[in-house]
Amino acid sequence: MSFRESFVEADGFHIRYMEAGDGPVLVHLHGAGGMRLHRGHDLLALKHRVIIMEMPGFGSSAENTRSASTRDLAETMAAAIRALGIGSYDLMGTSYGGKVVLWLAALHPDRVRALVLEAPAAIRPLDARPSTGTPEERARRIYAHPERMPPPPPVDDVVQARQLALVMRSIGPARDAELEERMRGMETPVLVLFGTMDRIIPSEMGRHYKALLPHCHLIFVYDAGHAPGAERPEAFSEAVTDYLARQEAFVVTRRGTMIFP
Amino acid sequence: MKISYFETGRYIPPPDMPREWPVRSGSCDPDTVSHALRGMAERGRFVEKLGFDWISLSEHHYSPRILTPSPAVSAAWLVGQVERIKIALLGPIVPTSNPIRVAEEFAMLEALAPGRIVAGLLRGTTNEYLSYDLNADEARGRTDEGMELILKAWTEPEAFGWQGRYFQFRTVSIWPRRQENGLQSYVLGTSAEAGSFAARHRMGMGVSYGPFEVMARATAHYRRECEAFGWTPGRDDIVFRANMILAETDEQADAMLAGRDARPPFPIGGRLRDALIAADTSRNIAGQRMQANVGGVLPISFCGGPDRVVEQIRRCRDVVGTGVLDISLTDPGTDSLDAMMDSLALFGRTVLPRVRDI
Repeated sequence: MSFRESFVEADGFHIRYMEAGDGPVLVHLHGAGGMRLHRGHDLLALKHRVIIMEMPGFGSSAENTRSASTRDLAETMAAAIRALGIGSYDLMGTSYGGKVVLWLAALHPDRVRALVLEAPAAIRPLDARPSTGTPEERARRIYAHPERMPPPPPVDDVVQARQLALVMRSIGPARDAELEERMRGMETPVLVLFGTMDRIIPSEMGRHYKALLPHCHLIFVYDAGHAPGAERPEAFSEAVTDYLARQEAFVVTRRGTMIFP
Repeated sequence: MKISYFETGRYIPPPDMPREWPVRSGSCDPDTVSHALRGMAERGRFVEKLGFDWISLSEHHYSPRILTPSPAVSAAWLVGQVERIKIALLGPIVPTSNPIRVAEEFAMLEALAPGRIVAGLLRGTTNEYLSYDLNADEARGRTDEGMELILKAWTEPEAFGWQGRYFQFRTVSIWPRRQENGLQSYVLGTSAEAGSFAARHRMGMGVSYGPFEVMARATAHYRRECEAFGWTPGRDDIVFRANMILAETDEQADAMLAGRDARPPFPIGGRLRDALIAADTSRNIAGQRMQANVGGVLPISFCGGPDRVVEQIRRCRDVVGTGVLDISLTDPGTDSLDAMMDSLALFGRTVLPRVRDI
């Protein structure tokens, strides 16, 4: 699957995005490490028009000193999606991006059909910290099996420092009372996925989303770390695609077991 | 040292019964099998009275050698026949099981007998994969994933789905739920994978049927892994299952050992055996490759009169680190039930009181 790079102007930011596929729109917001495409995106793009957006302040974009919170970023990204002429859409957020998309769905419930939270960082243990260090050190924390992943790309120290400053400034407390109050009343269907080997946000955090969100399904992706979509793309994309197609009915299996007719 | 009695169903086969595994089902005599299984109650009460700590059960198929294809069914019945002794399921064969079913059965057993159920999870011997048509190449992966799923089903309070390699469930939410600190649990096996899994999840480890020095390699690996995960296993965290010949004197025991049938009670045919060994290539002891044991004779690890056996148990403790010794006092599948009961009584009278402090 070939993703095309494009840009959109929104809320005073010049925002890069990557797009591929046809079908219902699925917008993805990345984690604290920035946008990185992987095979999970390719598989999702078989059934969706996938738009992966780089949030202002990440990657090669200009430094973002304006967004003070994930709520601010949610408003910016909602404006960016609107600027693409997209009315309603499915929305996926990874880790830090999981908190941004929760805010976006809370602020614009009429736009978001369903939410997918991949190892979300909206609720964190008190000692959780963003993944920093050399690319190899980060890979060891992010992936259950870093040796099975492609070599990590080189990190630009200036970009990493800018991203980290933005994340630390905007991510908010480990338990965000204002967001959690919004989550309690959220009508949007939500799928939460955690890797069973997540070393950054332990999979036990998933139970808080189940307890707070009225329409939430929790899935553990076996033997994956903090990026299950990258590490176990087939398992991840199957659950996400099925959920987005059938929402709560996805619990009713369609897998056959007949061996011979 | 805690002592466990390995209950195997004790079907006494007639001399003319076919002996090759799998044994034809038509040779199973309903009256004999009923007597053998119902006898678990008598034997259970007997060892409980002798002061044994556990009765252990296992899962084996397609022969009368060990007549408990369902350890959960065996345990559910047995637990109602005894009063205090713990029932250890060592255990369900995870790669051929539905992990959710296993989790539910253990939780149910624990609710029926709080604090008296011991859970052992294992990969199982290679021939058992034939029983439920499992590709041996997938056994390791299915075991590791199945155990992880069982633990999640026991501990996760919210309904969840599972996207594994071998198992997929959209909704898991077991009732009854396992007690918060309940179910003494073990991973059974000598492999590096088993030891590492047990250490990562703060579980005990069970090894079986090997020389002390060889088993010690597996338990040393387990201890190192526990240290890496920041904890130290306790006395009861290492189980050793083994065969024992106990007699009034060393000479009598040695004579019994010398007279032991050198053939396995239900051997696996040569070509089938070769095919199974060729199919199962990931067996190891603490990471060192070994050939799968398919239908071989299991060794006698303890042999002697009471004094010698006590010293052997002491050495087992020192070398392997064993805190729970799970013993068979005659080979399963042999016809010496009375001899076994005599040996159990002898063990209870002359050995058990002397190994408590080991």
